Amino acid sequence: MDDSDEALMARIARGDEPAFRVLSRRHLPAAVGLARRILGNAADAEDVAQEAMLRVWTHAPRWQPLAAFKTWLTRVVVNLCLDRKRKAAWVDLEAAGEIVDPTPGAGEKAESDERERLLAAAIADLPARQRTAIILTYSEGMSNAQVADVLDTSVSAVETLLVRGKQNLRRALGGVIGKDE
Amino acid sequence: MNREQLQTFLDSHGADPARWPESERAKAERLIASEADARAMFEETKLLDAMLARHTQITQDNDDAVARVTRRLASPLPRQKVPFWRWPTVLLDWEFSPAWPRVAALACCAALGFFIGIAGLDRPFDRLDQSATLMSRDLGSVVFGPQALTGAGP
Repeated sequence: MDDSDEALMARIARGDEPAFRVLSRRHLPAAVGLARRILGNAADAEDVAQEAMLRVWTHAPRWQPLAAFKTWLTRVVVNLCLDRKRKAAWVDLEAAGEIVDPTPGAGEKAESDERERLLAAAIADLPARQRTAIILTYSEGMSNAQVADVLDTSVSAVETLLVRGKQNLRRALGGVIGKDE
Repeated sequence: MNREQLQTFLDSHGADPARWPESERAKAERLIASEADARAMFEETKLLDAMLARHTQITQDNDDAVARVTRRLASPLPRQKVPFWRWPTVLLDWEFSPAWPRVAALACCAALGFFIGIAGLDRPFDRLDQSATLMSRDLGSVVFGPQALTGAGP
């Protein structure tokens, strides 16, 4: 049986719940992770991921395979995150406690934690679309064209978002970048 | 390409030359190779890229979050939104393939009922005889009786 995303979506469009469960298991971790990185808040990220997967279910009969399913789902997650950011003020620094720790030597750990905390705070302070462009580029490994597709904008607009985002990060981080590694 | 343009280029495309557009790559590489300041920009961009890539990795407790969302999705799912142009398809979306034996049985029953009705096998035998006799008598009177208007016999 064809187990591709598109085949599963065709089955979901006919109300096939087991197909929906398979697709959810496949894409939910990435959806939760992406929402969490954009929102910086675990509870909101879970809500967004749940809402995104429910949209997959409810909109499946209308879905047209014009783009890859993953790109479409990423767009849904990103739009839900940006909507949520528009509605609620950004009051979160808890992401600093959730950063993956590469655990170098014990003496370097405190300095590394401080760098990560500063970076988390700097990313959190970025405007939502700049942050989203950076996360899609570095976390999802997307090209500028793919980011433009997800954000429904032009490639040059994405490049502007990245340039301004990195300028803001440099300003916020000061000399911390040079001390890395 | 000058240094300012190189910085914009690096911020737009990152420090990985594999992601650089072909049209600009040679100019950027030439500048990085020839100027110390450009090389410093490139190295700084590499460090920033590494920090961003590490920071945006999936956190370790993602599995717990996924499990929670999966549990929430286990509840009855909402009604799907079917576009109006697909309503006729939905209404006519009969799955014959798994039900063909039942459909065949129904067709056989209908054919059998039609045959029984036509053959008159659904009536009791005594009434069947009467009607057969009546029918044969009527037929005989039509063929052999006198004509209604002229009274002429065969």
